[in-house]
Amino acid sequence: DALLPTPQNISILSTNMKHFLSWSPVIVQGETVRYSVEFQGEYERDYANESWIPICECSLITATVCNITEDISATVAYNLRVRADVGTRRSEWGTMKGFFNRITTSLTPPLMKVIADGYHLFVELEDMGPAFQFCVLYWKKGQESRVQQKVVKEVSSVVHLDTMEAGPDYCVKAQTYVEAINRSSSFSQTQCVRAQGGTSMWLV
Amino acid sequence: TAGNRIFHFGQCRVSMSMTEIRLGFTAIKANIQARDPIRTLSILSHPHSLHKVKSSDRCCITHHLFNFYVDKVFKHCKTEDSYINRKISSIANSFLSMKRKLRQCHEQNKCMCEEESTEKFKQILANYEGLNVTSAAMKSLGELDILLDWME
Repeated sequence: DALLPTPQNISILSTNMKHFLSWSPVIVQGETVRYSVEFQGEYERDYANESWIPICECSLITATVCNITEDISATVAYNLRVRADVGTRRSEWGTMKGFFNRITTSLTPPLMKVIADGYHLFVELEDMGPAFQFCVLYWKKGQESRVQQKVVKEVSSVVHLDTMEAGPDYCVKAQTYVEAINRSSSFSQTQCVRAQGGTSMWLV
Repeated sequence: TAGNRIFHFGQCRVSMSMTEIRLGFTAIKANIQARDPIRTLSILSHPHSLHKVKSSDRCCITHHLFNFYVDKVFKHCKTEDSYINRKISSIANSFLSMKRKLRQCHEQNKCMCEEESTEKFKQILANYEGLNVTSAAMKSLGELDILLDWME
């Protein structure tokens, strides 16, 4: 059986500690091509005879993308490879160029909603998974030098930040922090609200 | 959350996250321990518990144990179960990451090995080498929570 072409353009898209491997499809007229993915951590490379470990969720799949988040679970350099199969025909392994280390994941500012409930200032943060903490900064508009900070380790529904005075605007911004890789995102857009008796008031 | 913590091993201070190792081990603990037929013996706790190690010896013992697991244990724990193998890989690569952090203390001479810790580690090796390699490796992996509890 003639060898299938090796999968090409193998790359990883990693955002907010979610890692996806993708590759270009292998085209075989009139046939369904299936792909299998394997990974190799630094441990396998240096201590276990350069062994590879199959990802069973991505064994003989037709998609050209595989979620490898579960297996990239240490802050070390990983290798990834992909192979194609059609019936009894098989390709060589295509190995991603270079290593992937989750420390390079791109971190986006968190989605955030600031709520003024009467005189209480709340923030609602996006649940981005167990690896994420949040640093929330809040201040009275015009008193930017007196910023207060709150670290949110577990995303509950809503976080109470402060009790507001009537009149001034209160502004809030937040960033994520991932302890496993010791990195933070940039800050979100600032959102400002104002206490207004018992009603919520939005000022963006 | 994946809580990084500052670990104090005598003079050595290292920021590490155990959460992912704990999660990985908890996912396979029952399966691994079920593969260990010799319940009367312990690799890490025989004859004395790790908890008897003096504070000044903690870094040396931890350094030795990281090397022990990376060099000797994980490679002999391959199973027929792909899920188990993936979790072992996750733990092994996390150990590698921690081992690298602890090496900094070793290089700064904050990880001195005194006689007591050397003796303790020799005992662990003797316990390990008293069994055939696969049984010894599986038992050691099954005792990982003993090490994690002691470290934390």
